[in-house]
Amino acid sequence: MTIRHHPKDSLRLAYVAGQMDPATALIMATHLSLCAQCRAAAADDECIGGALLEGAEPMPLRSDALARVMARLGAPEAIHRTEPSADGTPAPLRAFLGHELSCVRWRRLGPRLGYVTLYRRGSLAMRLLRGAPGTEVGQHTHRGTEYTVVLRGGYSDESGNYGPGDFQIASADLTHNPVADVGEDCINLAVTDGGLQFRSRVQNVVASLFGF
Amino acid sequence: MLRRVAAFQDRQAFQELFAHFAPRIKAYLVRGGTASQQAEDLAQEAMLAVWRKAAQFDSNRASAATWIFTIARNLRIDMHRRERHPRFDPADPFFMPDSPDPADSALQTRQREHQLRKAIQALPPDQFRIVMLSFFSEKPHSQIAAELDIPLGTVKSRIRLAMMRLKTLLGDES
Repeated sequence: MTIRHHPKDSLRLAYVAGQMDPATALIMATHLSLCAQCRAAAADDECIGGALLEGAEPMPLRSDALARVMARLGAPEAIHRTEPSADGTPAPLRAFLGHELSCVRWRRLGPRLGYVTLYRRGSLAMRLLRGAPGTEVGQHTHRGTEYTVVLRGGYSDESGNYGPGDFQIASADLTHNPVADVGEDCINLAVTDGGLQFRSRVQNVVASLFGF
Repeated sequence: MLRRVAAFQDRQAFQELFAHFAPRIKAYLVRGGTASQQAEDLAQEAMLAVWRKAAQFDSNRASAATWIFTIARNLRIDMHRRERHPRFDPADPFFMPDSPDPADSALQTRQREHQLRKAIQALPPDQFRIVMLSFFSEKPHSQIAAELDIPLGTVKSRIRLAMMRLKTLLGDES
Protein backbone atom coordinates (compact mmCIF):
# COMPACT_ATOMS: atom_id res chain seq x y z
CA MET A 1 0.00 0.00 0.00
CA THR A 2 1.72 3.14 -1.19
CA ILE A 3 0.15 6.40 -0.10
CA ARG A 4 0.68 9.14 -2.66
CA HIS A 5 -1.63 11.89 -1.46
CA HIS A 6 -0.96 13.53 1.87
CA PRO A 7 -2.37 16.46 3.88
CA LYS A 8 -0.40 19.71 3.63
CA ASP A 9 2.20 20.58 6.26
CA SER A 10 0.03 23.40 7.61
CA LEU A 11 -2.89 21.04 8.20
CA ARG A 12 -0.71 18.48 9.98
CA LEU A 13 0.83 21.25 12.06
CA ALA A 14 -2.60 22.53 13.12
CA TYR A 15 -3.49 18.97 14.18
CA VAL A 16 -0.30 18.55 16.20
CA ALA A 17 -0.68 22.00 17.75
CA GLY A 18 -4.23 21.10 18.79
CA GLN A 19 -6.10 23.80 16.88
CA MET A 20 -8.56 21.71 14.94
CA ASP A 21 -12.26 21.03 15.05
CA PRO A 22 -13.07 17.43 16.09
CA ALA A 23 -14.12 16.34 12.58
CA THR A 24 -10.94 17.49 10.85
CA ALA A 25 -8.93 16.10 13.77
CA LEU A 26 -10.56 12.69 13.25
CA ILE A 27 -9.81 12.59 9.53
CA MET A 28 -6.20 13.61 10.27
CA ALA A 29 -5.86 10.97 13.02
CA THR A 30 -7.29 8.38 10.61
CA HIS A 31 -4.82 9.31 7.89
CA LEU A 32 -1.95 9.19 10.42
CA SER A 33 -2.99 5.66 11.41
CA LEU A 34 -2.62 4.63 7.77
CA CYS A 35 0.43 6.67 6.73
CA ALA A 36 3.87 5.99 8.21
CA GLN A 37 5.36 8.99 6.36
CA CYS A 38 2.95 11.48 7.93
CA ARG A 39 3.35 9.80 11.34
CA ALA A 40 7.08 10.46 11.14
CA ALA A 41 6.42 14.07 10.08
CA ALA A 42 3.91 14.53 12.91
CA ALA A 43 6.48 13.15 15.37
CA ASP A 44 8.87 15.86 14.13
CA ASP A 45 6.16 18.47 14.59
CA GLU A 46 5.68 17.30 18.16
CA CYS A 47 9.44 17.64 18.67
CA ILE A 48 9.08 21.28 17.64
CA GLY A 49 6.36 21.63 20.27
CA GLY A 50 8.67 19.99 22.82
CA ALA A 51 11.56 22.27 21.88
CA LEU A 52 9.35 25.35 22.19
CA LEU A 53 8.09 24.14 25.58
CA GLU A 54 11.65 23.52 26.73
CA GLY A 55 12.66 26.99 25.56
CA ALA A 56 9.66 28.80 27.06
CA GLU A 57 10.46 31.46 29.67
CA PRO A 58 9.35 29.76 32.93
CA MET A 59 6.40 31.36 34.71
CA PRO A 60 6.40 30.60 38.46
CA LEU A 61 3.45 28.73 39.94
CA ARG A 62 1.85 29.60 43.25
CA SER A 63 4.05 28.68 46.20
CA ASP A 64 1.78 25.84 47.33
CA ALA A 65 1.44 24.30 43.82
CA LEU A 66 3.97 21.52 44.30
CA ALA A 67 2.54 20.56 47.71
CA ARG A 68 -0.97 20.43 46.29
CA VAL A 69 0.08 18.18 43.43
CA MET A 70 2.20 15.93 45.68
CA ALA A 71 -0.82 15.48 47.96
CA ARG A 72 -2.86 14.24 45.00
CA LEU A 73 -0.36 11.74 43.58
CA GLY A 74 -2.16 8.43 43.42
CA ALA A 75 -1.38 5.13 41.79
CA PRO A 76 -0.06 5.47 38.24
CA GLU A 77 -2.22 4.10 35.44
CA ALA A 78 -1.44 0.78 33.84
CA ILE A 79 -0.20 1.04 30.25
CA HIS A 80 -3.12 1.53 27.93
CA ARG A 81 -3.02 -0.65 24.84
CA THR A 82 -5.06 -0.08 21.73
CA GLU A 83 -6.98 -3.26 20.95
CA PRO A 84 -6.56 -4.75 17.48
CA SER A 85 -9.37 -4.18 15.02
CA ALA A 86 -11.03 -7.29 13.57
CA ASP A 87 -11.44 -5.72 10.14
CA GLY A 88 -8.61 -3.20 9.98
CA THR A 89 -10.64 -0.14 11.00
CA PRO A 90 -8.20 2.64 11.95
CA ALA A 91 -8.24 2.99 15.75
CA PRO A 92 -9.28 6.69 15.96
CA LEU A 93 -12.24 6.08 13.65
CA ARG A 94 -13.26 2.96 15.57
CA ALA A 95 -13.09 4.88 18.85
CA PHE A 96 -15.34 7.56 17.36
CA LEU A 97 -17.84 5.07 15.88
CA GLY A 98 -17.80 2.82 18.91
CA HIS A 99 -17.55 -0.20 16.60
CA GLU A 100 -15.80 -1.60 13.52
CA LEU A 101 -16.36 -0.31 10.01
CA SER A 102 -18.08 -3.58 9.04
CA CYS A 103 -20.84 -2.88 11.61
CA VAL A 104 -21.81 0.48 10.09
CA ARG A 105 -25.52 0.71 9.26
CA TRP A 106 -25.50 2.46 5.93
CA ARG A 107 -28.25 4.76 4.72
CA ARG A 108 -28.96 4.35 1.04
CA LEU A 109 -28.58 7.14 -1.46
CA GLY A 110 -29.78 5.39 -4.59
CA PRO A 111 -28.95 1.80 -5.48
CA ARG A 112 -25.17 2.13 -5.51
CA LEU A 113 -24.27 4.73 -2.87
CA GLY A 114 -24.43 4.56 0.92
CA TYR A 115 -23.59 7.10 3.59
CA VAL A 116 -23.74 7.84 7.30
CA THR A 117 -23.41 11.32 8.78
CA LEU A 118 -21.12 11.13 11.80
CA TYR A 119 -20.88 14.76 12.81
CA ARG A 120 -22.42 18.09 11.96
CA ARG A 121 -21.62 21.51 13.31
CA GLY A 122 -22.66 24.61 11.39
CA SER A 123 -21.52 24.22 7.79
CA LEU A 124 -19.15 21.39 8.72
CA ALA A 125 -20.19 17.77 8.14
CA MET A 126 -18.32 14.49 8.47
CA ARG A 127 -19.59 11.40 6.69
CA LEU A 128 -18.69 7.88 5.78
CA LEU A 129 -19.42 7.26 2.10
CA ARG A 130 -19.63 3.97 0.27
CA GLY A 131 -19.82 3.43 -3.49
CA ALA A 132 -20.23 0.15 -5.34
CA PRO A 133 -17.47 -0.59 -7.89
CA GLY A 134 -17.72 1.74 -10.88
CA THR A 135 -20.18 4.17 -9.23
CA GLU A 136 -19.97 7.75 -10.46
CA VAL A 137 -20.70 10.49 -7.95
CA GLY A 138 -21.43 13.05 -10.68
CA GLN A 139 -19.68 16.29 -11.66
CA HIS A 140 -19.55 18.63 -8.70
CA THR A 141 -17.53 21.36 -7.10
CA HIS A 142 -17.28 22.51 -3.46
CA ARG A 143 -18.58 25.56 -1.67
CA GLY A 144 -15.79 25.19 0.85
CA THR A 145 -13.00 22.72 1.52
CA GLU A 146 -13.51 18.98 1.46
CA TYR A 147 -11.07 16.47 2.92
CA THR A 148 -11.38 12.80 1.99
CA VAL A 149 -9.42 9.81 3.20
CA VAL A 150 -9.86 6.44 1.51
CA LEU A 151 -10.52 3.54 3.89
CA ARG A 152 -11.27 0.69 1.43
CA GLY A 153 -11.05 0.27 -2.31
CA GLY A 154 -10.29 3.40 -4.29
CA TYR A 155 -11.56 6.04 -6.70
CA SER A 156 -10.32 8.14 -9.56
CA ASP A 157 -11.15 11.65 -10.66
CA GLU A 158 -9.75 14.39 -12.89
CA SER A 159 -6.89 14.95 -10.43
CA GLY A 160 -5.68 11.37 -10.03
CA ASN A 161 -6.22 7.99 -8.44
CA TYR A 162 -6.82 7.56 -4.72
CA GLY A 163 -6.30 4.31 -2.82
CA PRO A 164 -6.42 3.24 0.84
CA GLY A 165 -4.91 5.87 3.12
CA ASP A 166 -4.75 8.58 0.44
CA PHE A 167 -5.86 12.04 1.53
CA GLN A 168 -7.56 14.34 -0.98
CA ILE A 169 -8.03 18.07 -0.48
CA ALA A 170 -10.74 19.47 -2.74
CA SER A 171 -11.92 23.06 -2.79
CA ALA A 172 -13.88 25.47 -4.94
CA ASP A 173 -11.23 25.36 -7.64
CA LEU A 174 -11.70 21.62 -8.24
CA THR A 175 -14.63 20.33 -10.27
CA HIS A 176 -14.53 16.56 -10.31
CA ASN A 177 -16.48 13.41 -10.89
CA PRO A 178 -15.08 10.72 -8.60
CA VAL A 179 -15.61 7.19 -9.92
CA ALA A 180 -15.20 4.18 -7.61
CA ASP A 181 -12.55 1.77 -8.88
CA VAL A 182 -13.61 -1.66 -10.06
CA GLY A 183 -13.09 -4.60 -7.70
CA GLU A 184 -14.44 -3.81 -4.25
CA ASP A 185 -16.67 -1.16 -2.70
CA CYS A 186 -14.95 2.14 -2.11
CA ILE A 187 -15.36 3.44 1.45
CA ASN A 188 -14.23 6.95 2.34
CA LEU A 189 -14.31 9.24 5.33
CA ALA A 190 -15.02 12.82 4.26
CA VAL A 191 -15.19 16.17 6.02
CA THR A 192 -16.99 18.87 4.05
CA ASP A 193 -17.21 22.52 4.98
CA GLY A 194 -19.95 24.23 3.01
CA GLY A 195 -21.43 21.42 0.96
CA LEU A 196 -21.29 20.30 -2.65
CA GLN A 197 -22.49 21.99 -5.82
CA PHE A 198 -23.49 19.51 -8.53
CA ARG A 199 -23.63 20.30 -12.20
CA SER A 200 -26.88 18.33 -12.59
CA ARG A 201 -29.91 20.18 -11.22
CA VAL A 202 -31.59 16.91 -10.21
CA GLN A 203 -28.53 15.86 -8.24
CA ASN A 204 -28.46 19.23 -6.50
CA VAL A 205 -32.05 18.73 -5.38
CA VAL A 206 -31.28 15.21 -4.16
CA ALA A 207 -28.11 16.40 -2.43
CA SER A 208 -29.90 19.20 -0.58
CA LEU A 209 -32.71 16.80 0.44
CA PHE A 210 -30.13 14.54 2.02
CA GLY A 211 -28.31 17.46 3.59
CA PHE A 212 -25.14 17.25 1.48
CA MET B 1 14.16 11.39 35.32
CA LEU B 2 10.82 10.61 33.73
CA ARG B 3 11.96 7.01 33.46
CA ARG B 4 12.68 6.97 37.19
CA VAL B 5 9.16 8.22 37.77
CA ALA B 6 7.78 5.51 35.49
CA ALA B 7 9.85 2.61 36.80
CA PHE B 8 9.99 3.34 40.51
CA GLN B 9 7.22 5.87 41.12
CA ASP B 10 10.08 8.02 42.33
CA ARG B 11 8.61 11.08 44.08
CA GLN B 12 11.96 12.85 44.30
CA ALA B 13 12.41 12.56 40.53
CA PHE B 14 8.86 13.79 40.05
CA GLN B 15 9.56 16.90 42.14
CA GLU B 16 12.53 17.70 39.92
CA LEU B 17 10.38 17.22 36.82
CA PHE B 18 7.75 19.47 38.35
CA ALA B 19 10.26 22.21 39.13
CA HIS B 20 11.47 22.16 35.53
CA PHE B 21 8.29 21.64 33.53
CA ALA B 22 5.35 23.05 35.51
CA PRO B 23 6.48 26.71 35.07
CA ARG B 24 7.11 26.05 31.36
CA ILE B 25 3.68 24.48 30.88
CA LYS B 26 2.13 27.50 32.57
CA ALA B 27 4.10 29.81 30.27
CA TYR B 28 3.04 27.77 27.22
CA LEU B 29 -0.62 28.11 28.20
CA VAL B 30 -0.47 31.80 29.10
CA ARG B 31 1.33 32.68 25.87
CA GLY B 32 -1.40 30.81 24.03
CA GLY B 33 -4.07 33.02 25.54
CA THR B 34 -5.20 30.97 28.57
CA ALA B 35 -6.04 33.10 31.63
CA SER B 36 -3.36 32.98 34.33
CA GLN B 37 -5.51 31.22 36.96
CA GLN B 38 -6.65 28.56 34.48
CA ALA B 39 -3.07 28.10 33.25
CA GLU B 40 -1.95 27.57 36.85
CA ASP B 41 -4.62 24.89 37.43
CA LEU B 42 -3.98 23.25 34.09
CA ALA B 43 -0.21 23.14 34.67
CA GLN B 44 -0.89 21.27 37.93
CA GLU B 45 -3.30 18.90 36.18
CA ALA B 46 -0.74 18.32 33.43
CA MET B 47 1.92 17.35 35.97
CA LEU B 48 -0.54 14.99 37.68
CA ALA B 49 -1.17 13.41 34.27
CA VAL B 50 2.60 13.07 33.80
CA TRP B 51 2.72 11.09 37.04
CA ARG B 52 -0.28 8.93 36.16
CA LYS B 53 0.77 8.22 32.59
CA ALA B 54 4.51 7.93 33.18
CA ALA B 55 4.47 4.22 32.26
CA GLN B 56 3.33 5.20 28.75
CA PHE B 57 6.39 7.36 28.17
CA ASP B 58 8.66 5.75 25.59
CA SER B 59 12.05 7.38 25.25
CA ASN B 60 12.49 5.66 21.87
CA ARG B 61 9.66 7.75 20.53
CA ALA B 62 10.15 11.18 22.04
CA SER B 63 12.02 13.23 24.63
CA ALA B 64 10.40 14.10 27.96
CA ALA B 65 9.78 17.67 26.76
CA THR B 66 7.99 16.46 23.64
CA TRP B 67 5.89 13.95 25.55
CA ILE B 68 4.94 16.53 28.17
CA PHE B 69 4.09 19.00 25.39
CA THR B 70 1.53 16.50 24.02
CA ILE B 71 0.03 16.01 27.50
CA ALA B 72 -0.35 19.76 28.08
CA ARG B 73 -1.76 20.21 24.58
CA ASN B 74 -4.34 17.45 25.08
CA LEU B 75 -5.45 18.93 28.39
CA ARG B 76 -5.81 22.33 26.76
CA ILE B 77 -7.96 20.82 24.00
CA ASP B 78 -10.12 18.98 26.55
CA MET B 79 -10.61 22.14 28.56
CA HIS B 80 -11.96 23.99 25.55
CA ARG B 81 -14.11 21.26 24.13
CA ARG B 82 -16.87 19.39 25.82
CA GLU B 83 -17.05 17.00 22.86
CA ARG B 84 -14.69 14.08 22.75
CA HIS B 85 -11.70 15.04 20.69
CA PRO B 86 -10.23 12.42 18.41
CA ARG B 87 -6.54 11.76 18.64
CA PHE B 88 -4.42 8.91 17.55
CA ASP B 89 -2.43 6.68 19.83
CA PRO B 90 1.26 7.00 18.91
CA ALA B 91 1.83 3.54 20.40
CA ASP B 92 -0.95 1.91 18.37
CA PRO B 93 0.60 -1.47 17.46
CA PHE B 94 -1.73 -1.88 14.49
CA PHE B 95 -0.60 0.96 12.32
CA MET B 96 -0.76 0.29 8.63
CA PRO B 97 1.89 -0.04 7.41
CA ASP B 98 3.96 -0.92 10.48
CA SER B 99 6.14 1.82 11.84
CA PRO B 100 9.81 0.98 11.61
CA ASP B 101 11.17 -1.02 14.51
CA PRO B 102 12.42 1.41 17.14
CA ALA B 103 15.58 -0.60 17.78
CA ASP B 104 18.31 1.76 18.93
CA SER B 105 16.10 4.73 18.14
CA ALA B 106 16.37 6.44 21.53
CA LEU B 107 19.70 7.85 20.41
CA GLN B 108 18.30 8.78 17.01
CA THR B 109 15.35 10.50 18.68
CA ARG B 110 17.68 12.49 20.90
CA GLN B 111 19.88 13.49 17.99
CA ARG B 112 16.89 14.51 15.89
CA GLU B 113 15.42 16.58 18.72
CA HIS B 114 18.76 18.24 19.27
CA GLN B 115 19.01 19.09 15.55
CA LEU B 116 15.45 20.37 15.51
CA ARG B 117 16.09 22.60 18.48
CA LYS B 118 19.11 24.14 16.79
CA ALA B 119 17.15 24.50 13.54
CA ILE B 120 14.29 26.32 15.29
CA GLN B 121 16.71 28.74 16.91
CA ALA B 122 18.22 29.43 13.50
CA LEU B 123 14.89 30.49 11.97
CA PRO B 124 14.50 34.15 10.95
CA PRO B 125 12.52 36.04 13.65
CA ASP B 126 9.28 36.45 11.67
CA GLN B 127 9.20 32.72 10.87
CA PHE B 128 10.09 31.78 14.45
CA ARG B 129 7.28 33.98 15.70
CA ILE B 130 4.72 32.37 13.44
CA VAL B 131 5.85 28.82 14.33
CA MET B 132 5.70 29.74 18.00
CA LEU B 133 2.24 31.23 17.62
CA SER B 134 0.93 28.33 15.61
CA PHE B 135 2.05 25.93 18.33
CA PHE B 136 1.17 27.91 21.41
CA SER B 137 -1.91 29.79 20.39
CA GLU B 138 -5.36 28.31 20.74
CA LYS B 139 -6.44 30.39 17.81
CA PRO B 140 -6.78 29.31 14.20
CA HIS B 141 -4.44 30.81 11.64
CA SER B 142 -7.08 33.31 10.51
CA GLN B 143 -7.12 34.92 13.97
CA ILE B 144 -3.34 34.91 14.22
CA ALA B 145 -3.33 36.80 10.91
CA ALA B 146 -5.81 39.33 12.23
CA GLU B 147 -3.80 39.93 15.40
CA LEU B 148 -0.49 40.34 13.62
CA ASP B 149 -2.29 42.49 11.07
CA ILE B 150 -0.96 40.49 8.14
CA PRO B 151 -2.95 38.61 5.48
CA LEU B 152 -3.87 34.96 6.12
CA GLY B 153 -1.87 34.03 3.02
CA THR B 154 1.24 35.55 4.63
CA VAL B 155 0.72 33.50 7.80
CA LYS B 156 0.39 30.35 5.73
CA SER B 157 3.37 31.13 3.53
CA ARG B 158 5.57 31.97 6.55
CA ILE B 159 4.61 28.65 8.12
CA ARG B 160 5.36 26.88 4.86
CA LEU B 161 8.72 28.65 4.56
CA ALA B 162 9.58 27.86 8.17
CA MET B 163 8.70 24.18 7.72
CA MET B 164 10.74 23.99 4.50
CA ARG B 165 13.65 25.62 6.23
CA LEU B 166 13.45 23.22 9.16
CA LYS B 167 13.42 20.30 6.76
CA THR B 168 16.45 21.68 4.92
CA LEU B 169 18.31 22.25 8.17
CA LEU B 170 17.49 18.67 9.15
CA GLY B 171 18.80 17.48 5.80
CA ASP B 172 15.57 15.80 4.72
CA GLU B 173 15.02 15.13 1.06
CA SER B 174 11.28 15.75 0.93
